[in-house]
Amino acid sequence: MSWEYLQGVLVLFLVNSIAAMGVSLLTGFTGVFTLGHAAYMSIGAYALAIGMGRYELPWPIALLLAGVLASLVAYLVGVPTLRLVGDYFAIASIGLGETVRLLVENWQSLTRGARGYPGIEPFADLWVVGGIALAMGLAMFNLTRSRFGRAFKACRDDPLAASTMGVDTTSMRIVSLVVSAFYCGVAGALFASFMTYVQPAMFDLSKSTELTAVVVFGGLGSMSGTILAAAVITLVVEAFRGLAQYRMLIYGLVLVTTMVLRPEGIMGEKEIWHLLRGRRG
Amino acid sequence: MSSLLQQLLNGLSLGSAYALIAVGYSLVYSILLFSNFAHGGFLVIGGYICYYSLTKMGLGLLPAALLSLAGAGMSAVLTERIAYRPIRRRGALTLYLLIASMGMSIVIENFWVIAVGGRFRAIPPVIPTSPISVFGTTVSSFDLIVLAVALSLLLGLELFLRRTRWGLAIRASSYDVRTAALMGVDTDRLVAIVFFVAGALASVSGIFLAVRYTLYPQLGFITIKAFVAAVVGGLGSLPGAVLGSYLLGVLEMLVAGFISSQVRDIVVFLLLVVTLLVRPQGLLGRRLEEKV
Repeated sequence: MSWEYLQGVLVLFLVNSIAAMGVSLLTGFTGVFTLGHAAYMSIGAYALAIGMGRYELPWPIALLLAGVLASLVAYLVGVPTLRLVGDYFAIASIGLGETVRLLVENWQSLTRGARGYPGIEPFADLWVVGGIALAMGLAMFNLTRSRFGRAFKACRDDPLAASTMGVDTTSMRIVSLVVSAFYCGVAGALFASFMTYVQPAMFDLSKSTELTAVVVFGGLGSMSGTILAAAVITLVVEAFRGLAQYRMLIYGLVLVTTMVLRPEGIMGEKEIWHLLRGRRG
Repeated sequence: MSSLLQQLLNGLSLGSAYALIAVGYSLVYSILLFSNFAHGGFLVIGGYICYYSLTKMGLGLLPAALLSLAGAGMSAVLTERIAYRPIRRRGALTLYLLIASMGMSIVIENFWVIAVGGRFRAIPPVIPTSPISVFGTTVSSFDLIVLAVALSLLLGLELFLRRTRWGLAIRASSYDVRTAALMGVDTDRLVAIVFFVAGALASVSGIFLAVRYTLYPQLGFITIKAFVAAVVGGLGSLPGAVLGSYLLGVLEMLVAGFISSQVRDIVVFLLLVVTLLVRPQGLLGRRLEEKV
């Protein structure tokens, strides 16, 4: 096993972790189920590719643009769907995933269609991705332990009680979605740079499902559980490349069995250091 | 003019397929208050049972259809028993049911991918698709058959819900499951009946869609449009689900026929967003207020 290969797997793990942290905030902490977050990765990836390729932006600015653009789209989707109680967002999230894919495939002049956008500058080596992942990870941990984090959890556990206590549940859900889309947008952009090209098929429904499966498996409401699960999934996908056709079946089984047997996932609401210190979260 | 009529009927036929999915989905939603994403799986199961009954067992259309209705209905009941009932019993968040249903949807889809392969299969030509002449324009006889079958099944469902004791229990539970249970309704059995009906109706739609397009494991993905139709009509309302389905089917076919078939899926999504912005309770929905 060469160092290059190992580096590649580590970068993939970090990229998956950034995206999964975003989904974890929304689904695990805020209780909003999504099946379209690959769309935000796709938006981020294309924003970077086009920003650097066509407008010759330096990569830090293109990367920021990727996150901001994903957040903006999330805001536009979130406002009509998250102010309602019910499964409206879940349904819309699948629709969004499809819509983004169709737009990217058909907007040939901008995205170069289904064949993909090649020649993206490979700035995303292990050190860049590692640094960004660390910074975004720390920001996320701080966010979940802040006043916002507690409000998010209140929205998940009892929206009615939360609103009686003065939490604006609609705004909180939208904030959570916007932040989570930012994470996915950045992750998509880093992924595009790491691969040096981007294709709409990279961000399909199975990618969205993978993100949600990672979060559920890691434990709803545990950030370190999410990262642990991202590591497990990245390794499993690498180790069993030959068994790709069983991959989706396994994701499905993970979702069902986790919900039936241990809905709190591997970590529950605990973070890893709670276990190390031997006290409850 | 005649092409407009053709597209309209085509849309009504597609809308019929959506309606049979959407009523089952709405029925489940009205009782358990979660979107059963595995609903599309029942449609695929029904489609494959019909396909293999026709090709391998050499059955006629009617026995094959009945077999697929029963098979899809039973797998819906089984899905509920295995994946949802344990979660329901704990009284957990509906989020858990949503996640479990997505899991079941993936499991069912990929079961078929692994068991029979992902390729597209054509159902034998058991439903006539020949063009016939009505009021001076030619229309597909298949579209007329689909419309007639769907409308009679929907009428049958309406009679079941209005005229039978179980129908009364289902309507009561859609207002308040706990109170209905206190009045002596066996909730588990009621949920099983609802899932059976939902699965059986979905399988009819599965057969129609398999004839219309082809049969493949991801065919169940089309249910997302039926979900959108249910939201447009009013989530949890059965007449709303039917109305929304026909509206969506016709809109899709008009867009495909007169603008471009590439944008029809985008139009579906736009319709969802516009509905939620302008009239979030849907066309015929109950008012959206949470019970304390």
